[in-house]
Amino acid sequence: MRRIQAIAWNTFREAVRNKILYSLLFFAVLIILSALAMGNLTLHEEIRMTRDIGLFGIDAFGVIIAIFVGVNLLYKELDLKTVYTILPKPLHRWEFVLGKWLGMLLTLAVQMGVMGLVLGVTLWLQGAHFDTPMVKAVWLLFVNVMLVTSIAVFFSAFSSPFLSGFFALGCFMVGRSVPDIRALAAKLGPLAKTVLETGCTLVPNMHLFYPSGAIVGAEEVSVHRDFVGASYLLTTSTYGVSYSLIVLILAMLIFRKRDFV
Amino acid sequence: MSEVVLRADDLAKTFRLGFFRKRIEAVKQASFEVRRGEIFGYLGPNGSGKTTTLKMLMGLVFPSRGRAEVLGQPVPDRQAKRRLGYLPESPYFYDYLTPEEFLDLVGALFDVKRAERRIRADRLIERVGLSSARGRPLRKFSKGMLQRIGIAQALMGEPELVVLDEPMTGLDPIGRKEIRDLMLDLKREGRTVLYSTHILPDVEMTCDRVAMIFAGRIRSVGPLSELLTARLLSTEVCLRPGAAGLPELPAGARKSENPDGLVIDLPADADVDAFLRAVLAAGARVHSLTPRRESLEDLFVREATSHNQGAA
Repeated sequence: MRRIQAIAWNTFREAVRNKILYSLLFFAVLIILSALAMGNLTLHEEIRMTRDIGLFGIDAFGVIIAIFVGVNLLYKELDLKTVYTILPKPLHRWEFVLGKWLGMLLTLAVQMGVMGLVLGVTLWLQGAHFDTPMVKAVWLLFVNVMLVTSIAVFFSAFSSPFLSGFFALGCFMVGRSVPDIRALAAKLGPLAKTVLETGCTLVPNMHLFYPSGAIVGAEEVSVHRDFVGASYLLTTSTYGVSYSLIVLILAMLIFRKRDFV
Repeated sequence: MSEVVLRADDLAKTFRLGFFRKRIEAVKQASFEVRRGEIFGYLGPNGSGKTTTLKMLMGLVFPSRGRAEVLGQPVPDRQAKRRLGYLPESPYFYDYLTPEEFLDLVGALFDVKRAERRIRADRLIERVGLSSARGRPLRKFSKGMLQRIGIAQALMGEPELVVLDEPMTGLDPIGRKEIRDLMLDLKREGRTVLYSTHILPDVEMTCDRVAMIFAGRIRSVGPLSELLTARLLSTEVCLRPGAAGLPELPAGARKSENPDGLVIDLPADADVDAFLRAVLAAGARVHSLTPRRESLEDLFVREATSHNQGAA
């Protein structure tokens, strides 16, 4: 456990000392704060605007950071050859991958925490507060980002950062559009339908992590009114965490067999 | 015979590169043993397969054939890794860390407790002479300083076997001497050192035994004293001729000039006593007389030449 913890802490420390992440965080905060100005353009919908823009900022920048850092997580170790110093230590390769992944999650948790805090302060300035639906929404976004990180790490275990980023972003975009793709598939011929359905089955359904405005059960859910219940939260979180772990295990298996030339 | 701490048995590695999976035989055959308490040199020209062999021993590269054991365990066993320290070639470290942070990370990977990690890190930073740079990030370190922190991290687990890949590369003469001294210290402490290099004078000064690898194949393994032939190759006489000039040189002798006078290279079968008597009688002043036996460089060149002829 100490070894995994050491790798995770080092990964977190690396991210904390990386100026690019601060820039991304700065833009995310800027977008959330822009909700204050955008709210003035609406008629009595300032708080709604702030919540929507805030959640969009947390989601978009969480995913961008997950892909950006995730695809470099293992590749950078190989490119900079730091892996030659670390892997001959009494450490299993899977411990190394797990440690890197946990460090990445810690980084994302802190980043999303900061963004959530800024959103909370913004809401407070408008006389509202960061209520339970918002907490649930941010939690689901975090599980989504965890899944995106695992996918990025999986591709980076055998591919270049550019291709890994391309594939991870593709998975995210398809995963987020699963209901739309399924609706489209229903209108197409049998072959196209099969292809699209297969794609939707292979790619995780990331629409589940951004359910605001969607119909869950027979009800429309929204962070502005009634959001998802504990049961949805539990099943979706279990789905996301399980998918993440399966993809991460695949990444570990690939990494286990690699030659570090 | 002392205990074998590392055994490479018929190791080979073939890489398949590029779109057409072109075969590159980096190591064709490597078999050797390293014994407890010795300094073992792994010699070879650039691209001969030294680093690939060491990477196979460290579990970074999987052999295509053969097997390796480190401290009685098949590579890459975690229990064996606990007892060895490794410095990669041209080491790259997390450059945002300070030496203290980096050694702390390495110590944690060895499951060393925090308090003990601090003690070991302090001691090693002191030992490799980096006390004044302990709070500086590694990205601000010179090549020599990085090599020293690399040695420190290799010793963080208090290893029985220390494996150093090209530890002298890129170092100035003082840096090289420091690394040599450190290796000799490690030997005195009872540790075993295996290092790869192509810098032959360092090997002559430090190694008990060596293995030579050419184009992926090991040519010679053994103690330097056994590998180098003891026979006299030539005798070099440095002198300044007297007024009467030089007597006739023995057959096969070669003459050259240097700032102090002349250098006469006498063949192995020349009568050196007679030659000395003759030059002294002619009023010459003899500065030095050096019998030249086979050096490691001669052996290295001999093996390389014989390998090339064999390959042709």
